[in-house]
Amino acid sequence: MSLRFLSTVRAKAPQLADIVIIGGGPAGLTLAAAIKNSPTLSSLNCKLVEGGNLIGPLTKFKQEPPSNFTNRVVSLTPSTVSYLSEIGAWNHIQEERVESYDNIVAWDGVSGAKIDFDGPSLATMCENLNLQSALLSRIEELGQDLEILDNTKVESIQADEKIGWPVLQLSNGESIQTRLLVGCDGFNSPARKFAQIESRGWMYNRWGIVATMKFKDGEFRHPTGWQRFLPTGPVALLPLPDNWTTLVWSTTPENSDILMKLDEDKFLAMVNAAVKLPVEELEYLIKVAASKPEIVAEEVAWRLQLFNDKLSPEEAGGYPLELETIVTKSRGKFPLKLSHADTYVEERVALVGDAAHTTHPLAGQGLNMGQADVKSLVGVLETSLERGLDIGTKMALEPYFSERYPANHVLLGVVDKLHKIYSTDAAPLVFARSFGVNVLNNVPFVKDFMVARMGE
Amino acid sequence: MFVRRLSTAISESEKAHFNNLATSWWDTTGPQRILHKMNLVRMDFINNNIKQHIKINNNVPNEQKTFIPGWNPHNVLPEPVANTIDGARTARIRQELAKMRLSCLDIGCGGGILSESLARLPYVESVDGIDMSPEVVRVANEHKLLDPAIAQKVHYQLKPVGELPATKQYDVVTLMELLEHVDHPADVMAAAMSHVKPGGLLFLSTINRDPISWLTTILFGEYVLRIVPVGTHTYSKYIDCAEIAEFVEHTGFSVIDSKGCTYLPLKGWVFTDSPDVGNYFMALQRVK
Repeated sequence: MSLRFLSTVRAKAPQLADIVIIGGGPAGLTLAAAIKNSPTLSSLNCKLVEGGNLIGPLTKFKQEPPSNFTNRVVSLTPSTVSYLSEIGAWNHIQEERVESYDNIVAWDGVSGAKIDFDGPSLATMCENLNLQSALLSRIEELGQDLEILDNTKVESIQADEKIGWPVLQLSNGESIQTRLLVGCDGFNSPARKFAQIESRGWMYNRWGIVATMKFKDGEFRHPTGWQRFLPTGPVALLPLPDNWTTLVWSTTPENSDILMKLDEDKFLAMVNAAVKLPVEELEYLIKVAASKPEIVAEEVAWRLQLFNDKLSPEEAGGYPLELETIVTKSRGKFPLKLSHADTYVEERVALVGDAAHTTHPLAGQGLNMGQADVKSLVGVLETSLERGLDIGTKMALEPYFSERYPANHVLLGVVDKLHKIYSTDAAPLVFARSFGVNVLNNVPFVKDFMVARMGE
Repeated sequence: MFVRRLSTAISESEKAHFNNLATSWWDTTGPQRILHKMNLVRMDFINNNIKQHIKINNNVPNEQKTFIPGWNPHNVLPEPVANTIDGARTARIRQELAKMRLSCLDIGCGGGILSESLARLPYVESVDGIDMSPEVVRVANEHKLLDPAIAQKVHYQLKPVGELPATKQYDVVTLMELLEHVDHPADVMAAAMSHVKPGGLLFLSTINRDPISWLTTILFGEYVLRIVPVGTHTYSKYIDCAEIAEFVEHTGFSVIDSKGCTYLPLKGWVFTDSPDVGNYFMALQRVK
């Protein structure tokens, strides 16, 4: 009697897995596709757990693509694109929705010092959903049974008492015990917390505002990435097909509140102002936007008129065209921060992408760093498996950490310094950075070197 | 007389040394870290030799027979062509590997570092590990239970190679870092060879008896860098690669590969082209 009672309360024995990936973002899906694409790794029992709704929206995106561009857009470097091709996912991208561009114009909002980079396909702009849905299609095409559990939250992670493997308790009542847990689970990574890995860094006290917009039709322009460094943070307009563009405007928390509260047409006017008008006028316009939002569009209009009248046609080519349309409800904001985990690997755990590091979006490197992590981790898992190692052990995973940490660390540092150098209007610093940029812009081999590094 | 010799193949002091190391055997950051690192190149050496000796044109009907060159196509052919050839060869090897079910004997298995790695290879069916130190065999038995995938594939026994049933033969026999710890290496070699199936492979690794070895394995390894527990090595027990080759000459075995290896701090173990200096690996194949 009592025995029978016990047997009904006892939890179901956990399922066994070789690899469990937490997170169905670009990093998690790329890792899943790469594992199933690898002849060495494809036979592993691999599962992906995602808290949100994944398969439904991604399948819908593929079958009935929305007419407007969605607002989460990422910049892909050539090496990311070539890796996605290598694992067979790039074939599934809806190419009419991506834009590659070979020209970036970046200029100093205070001094006007300008640098432009040219290089064959410097970067490719792609919607997050487009990328994710391509990866899902690739996983389905490979047909190796990879279980994707979406709408499933990880409620707890505990180490098994006997063999120490992580046991994930899921919101659907199931539990999985896994040889290796890969956290592609973002900044607040539960996998990182389970492994007790410390992550260090700081908030930038800046928010990034994104939106999808369209330039006025008319004049032909080559696809160009525009980035103006204001003392409050850079404002960037990155190209999408057909004169569409995606905005990333990093600014102070106060400014971001004011800008997010504006009506969409007034917000559009403010963006037009932000890429052209002098810093002092912008500060004034922000004040107007806060106190008398109803007149801000007119304020911007006559100031821009004045500004444009003074430009020669040649000078006008150095600024983006006027923005005309904003996609309804495409505005969003997120806090900017730098973080770097002390290690990416512990016994039974590896961290990938934002779970291991987050960066300021000014260089568009965040997602690309995660893609490079995936490539490295997959290579390390292949080697370790061929050497007969237990792929969950730190011994097997260490080369991944030693390969990726230094590269990521350098990039995080460079981006951080760029943010710091540009978030001031102190005269000596403005002079120094403008002098530097002018020199850079006129010494071809230094610039070529930088273009080459950006593409990596 | 002969039996007693075999049963004391490892001296009491060696046995005591390894008993003391048993508890830290699987601590990959502890005193055995360098051995764990070495296991990586051991596995590369074993894998490479097994793969190189797969006959990729076996079982392909004559009319479909494709010529896959044995020489390095990258030296003479354009990159894309060479890559295609590589790809075809790798795929064919993988296909043949998938059919294989090898049995392995790991002599001097210690805590089971190599035995476990062998057992995880998909083309290995079973691994028998034997060792003379009761403590390390206990550790090996406990550790294999931590991985459900291999717990049933590996079997450890506390016995010298001479006590294995004479009829028991394996596809792969390994003698890794063992010969420099035994008193009568020739006897151990002969016993190990008797357990290799015709066509099977015997892998061994040990250390050349030269000043370089003394410098790297004893002076630097044990005393200066302290990456190897003091007392692990005895210089007089080192054996030259050439001595093994000579020993093998009239035995029905042939040396199919030998490679030196050396430890580079920050990089780990790497292969060298000089098997006559320092540590080395050898692969022997039973031809008769």
